[in-house]
Amino acid sequence: MAGIKELRVRIKSVGNIKQITRAMEMVASTKLRRFQDRAIASRPYSMEIAGLVARLSSMLGDDVSDQPLFNAGKGTRTLVLFISSDRGLCGAYNTYLFKELEQWLAGRPNAAETDFFVYGRKGAQYLTARGYNVKRFITDPPMEEIDHRTAALTGRMLVDEFETGEYQDVHLVSTGFESMIKYNPRIEPFLPLTPESLGGGEDKAVSADTILEPDANTIFESLVPRYLETRIYSALLESLTSEYASRRFAMKNATDAATDMQKELKSIYNRKRQEKITMELLDIVGGAAAVK
Amino acid sequence: MAGTLSIRVITPERILLDSTCASVSFPTVDGSVGILSGHAPMVAAIGVGELAFKTENGAEESVFIAGGFAEVRDNTVRIVTDTSEPASEIDVERAVEAAQRARKRLEQYESNDGEKLDVLRARTALARALMRERIAKKRR
Repeated sequence: MAGIKELRVRIKSVGNIKQITRAMEMVASTKLRRFQDRAIASRPYSMEIAGLVARLSSMLGDDVSDQPLFNAGKGTRTLVLFISSDRGLCGAYNTYLFKELEQWLAGRPNAAETDFFVYGRKGAQYLTARGYNVKRFITDPPMEEIDHRTAALTGRMLVDEFETGEYQDVHLVSTGFESMIKYNPRIEPFLPLTPESLGGGEDKAVSADTILEPDANTIFESLVPRYLETRIYSALLESLTSEYASRRFAMKNATDAATDMQKELKSIYNRKRQEKITMELLDIVGGAAAVK
Repeated sequence: MAGTLSIRVITPERILLDSTCASVSFPTVDGSVGILSGHAPMVAAIGVGELAFKTENGAEESVFIAGGFAEVRDNTVRIVTDTSEPASEIDVERAVEAAQRARKRLEQYESNDGEKLDVLRARTALARALMRERIAKKRR
């Protein structure tokens, strides 16, 4: 009976897939934990830096408009740093990002004048396929080996581009990690720095007689790059964490689905097998009766 | 001694230090400053050197820091820095090696007119290494 043989093969292949998805789930879990720990550990630092920038800029008041990074660029183009994943099989992680991006671009007057810096192969593929201008696809170092130094290099690159005056603003598209089952794509303004993007006012303003050592400009000059790099770093970490959370979830679903399927196939297989035995028995009994 | 200060040292990897103390001193880019309770609000850029603080019972502790920022506000000293290690965690051998390496490089660059940036880099590396070594030895 062909049906039975086919069923046996299918049960086996479903079992193989289940093994793979389960292994991937496990890998994603470990990586998820690692990135999550890092993301959480870096949070106080980035909050502190952001707070410092916000307090300093609110303290300087109108003087911040002298700082080049606080004013919109002269150009009309927009630069976007897009953080997606290198690999697939992570559920709707990338799809959500793309959807959010398309929506955002649709509402912008200069959508056609947008250049992209991309982390993650999936994003680069998507954007190139749709004819967007991918100015730089950052592959070195691989996303998973990011640290503060490489985030700083990316930040430097963005600032350099912004300072050419070609761009009016720079945005950051990434995925924010809220919990194991909640992660949302988000689009944030990156440059120019504005009191709103710095979240000024959440902290009580510092008194104007704060001593600055050595002086405001020097502090700002080294603080602002640090702040930008921290933002990129945490955006990367949160995106990676979300990616792995999403992948783990997708793989868990796949494993569960495989288990269900295996069960179903097995019961069909057993029924068929029994049917076959019963038929054979009937044949024998029938044959024996005929001989008598 | 009047009052206490709280001190927090925050690095990207972790909160290195979170405690109270009687006095703190740290290096700014323009020289060392000391902070006691009741200090006026201040924001400073940190240089390379030793962050030293005296606990309430008089014990002195020190931490190596290089770069970053310090904020003094409401009797709290908050230090955000990329590079920081408590004296007990400094790898002395590595620091000594790094110092030697930096010295060698410095000689090399200076003798054959190396690039300014390289010289600068070697110099800061040397300063960091020497400072690490000094702090580690002082506390042992």
